[in-house]
Amino acid sequence: MNRLIISLAFSIIFLSAGAQNIFITKDARINFNSSTSVEDIVAESHQATTVIDIEKNVVKFSVLTTSFKFRRALMEEHFNENYMESAKFPKANFNGKITSPIDWKSDKPAVVDVKGTLTMHGISNEVSLKAQITPGKGKISASAEIKVTPEAFGIQIPSAVRDKIAKEVTIKIDADYTPFQQ
Amino acid sequence: MTRKKVIRIVLWVFVIGLIAAFSSIYYVFNMPRRNLAKENAVYSLEAKQLISDFKKDEASSNAKYLDKAIAVTGEIKSIRTLDNHSMVFSLEDSMEGVSCTVDSADVVVYSSKLSAVKIGSKAAFKGRCSGMLMDIQVINCVPE
Repeated sequence: MNRLIISLAFSIIFLSAGAQNIFITKDARINFNSSTSVEDIVAESHQATTVIDIEKNVVKFSVLTTSFKFRRALMEEHFNENYMESAKFPKANFNGKITSPIDWKSDKPAVVDVKGTLTMHGISNEVSLKAQITPGKGKISASAEIKVTPEAFGIQIPSAVRDKIAKEVTIKIDADYTPFQQ
Repeated sequence: MTRKKVIRIVLWVFVIGLIAAFSSIYYVFNMPRRNLAKENAVYSLEAKQLISDFKKDEASSNAKYLDKAIAVTGEIKSIRTLDNHSMVFSLEDSMEGVSCTVDSADVVVYSSKLSAVKIGSKAAFKGRCSGMLMDIQVINCVPE
């Protein structure tokens, strides 16, 4: 009986310690820019969910594609119906690992390398990017930028409008994490 | 009918056609966003039901609810204002519940109704289901 209580106590301590490694936010900002001289195309979502595990140095990022807002409703419709096919592929995901060393106890901004898999429109690609991470007391701020080509994710853009959309789309993310509390 | 008259009629038809074409292009180009306040909910249900549907089978729930106007009712667990002044009301669970987002313009329109929504109280929102991350997100919401 005693042993059970002790092991139970240990597992509770272990669990609560485990939870302290996890930082999360559901309000991460993500925007992308595919503007050309012909057309301004920018979209933003404030509802990406992202998690950092500071013990395993693992980062996860997810966003629902219909949560992106454009300047025009017509752009949103084209984005969701023709390009991202949001009904079939409602999410975009990134699963990655911080590959360069980082001191989570420091409160100075650090630029780190992140490698991982970006999945959208049902297609996964290995990507690497630089992220700026600022650890703080009970919070972590992070921002990152990545360039992708729509064609790499099987997104076909008709030649009639190809010149209106940038060849490379710049995706920027910006997140303020807080400790995960269950 | 003289030749002149025929030309004049043809010209008029052409001009009217041109105006119609341009105005319809203009309308489509600047078409308004979906206004959920004017739509009837395809499904009206408890937040708990929506959560259990999505947890049980995400793919079939996506097929059933995605992009549909739905009305959800549940207990408010958290209220947040985002950087873009939209408000998020979490039903049943602040992490893994139903998150109803009211766009900044609607926050102004429904300010009196929304200020009555308190943590712990029951509330209903009608919006467009955009899928599940940790929580099930319902966007472009209006209070019911």
